[in-house]
Amino acid sequence: MEHAQHIIESTQEIFSSMVMLEVTPGEPFVRVDEKLVNSISGIVGLAGTTKGMLAIHMSNAAALAVTTAFLGMEVSEIDEDVRDAIGELANMLAGSLKSVLDPSGGDIKLSMPSAVYGEEYSIDCLANAQAATVPFSFDGMNFMVELQLRKDS
Amino acid sequence: MGKTVLIVDDSNTMRKIVSRALRQAGIDFSTILEAGDGQEALGVLEANQVDVILSDINMPNMNGLEFLKAKSENPAIKDIPVVMISTETGADIIDEAKSYGAKGAIKKPFTPDLINETLGALL
Repeated sequence: MEHAQHIIESTQEIFSSMVMLEVTPGEPFVRVDEKLVNSISGIVGLAGTTKGMLAIHMSNAAALAVTTAFLGMEVSEIDEDVRDAIGELANMLAGSLKSVLDPSGGDIKLSMPSAVYGEEYSIDCLANAQAATVPFSFDGMNFMVELQLRKDS
Repeated sequence: MGKTVLIVDDSNTMRKIVSRALRQAGIDFSTILEAGDGQEALGVLEANQVDVILSDINMPNMNGLEFLKAKSENPAIKDIPVVMISTETGADIIDEAKSYGAKGAIKKPFTPDLINETLGALL
């Protein structure tokens, strides 16, 4: 849970400066155990001395609202623009957290962002990983940012 | 005659966001060209006169560092200034980018003011 505060700071900065939305953090918890329903997740993998993933999970409604604000144009279905936008948010979050975990930039590699979406799915990354998840809300909608990490000794 | 900028990023979303930030920064480019990776960017540079390039680093096919290296080896385009715009702004990566001629780096997330400040010195 030590990374929850980094997640909160990075997410608020990215949403405020790039998406023009003020998001409010809720109480952090360890990991997303329940299945995600009618949702989309942007995911970036971490490899190197620290392995894991950074994921942002949004309901379809939240993803449409965020993409509309991000691109400055109305978006009404989960299309390529939405998948790209949510993947890019995950990419910026992972980059921001990487700068905390690996200030020199040489120890951790980030994957290209990807997006998963569907009516019902679950995502798991690593056994024995440390995890921290922070829920956020804006305009009556919610999303979660989840970090799973395992540092090689 | 107005100036031309080339935005290189595999994310269509980010290309739109960078274009919008350039307008918000008050930088008046007459032409905004786009490319989805380094290889595509080299093709755009062959066919167009470009004044400045804004490039991501982490891209498929040919990433930003490979693009910089290829560009630095081509006398016709090697002097066009490049600013990296990326989530990857660790010292090691930026040093490598500068060794291939990058003039600066902007970390995502960015503000129009930061873009204005960085590009203003190059235009």
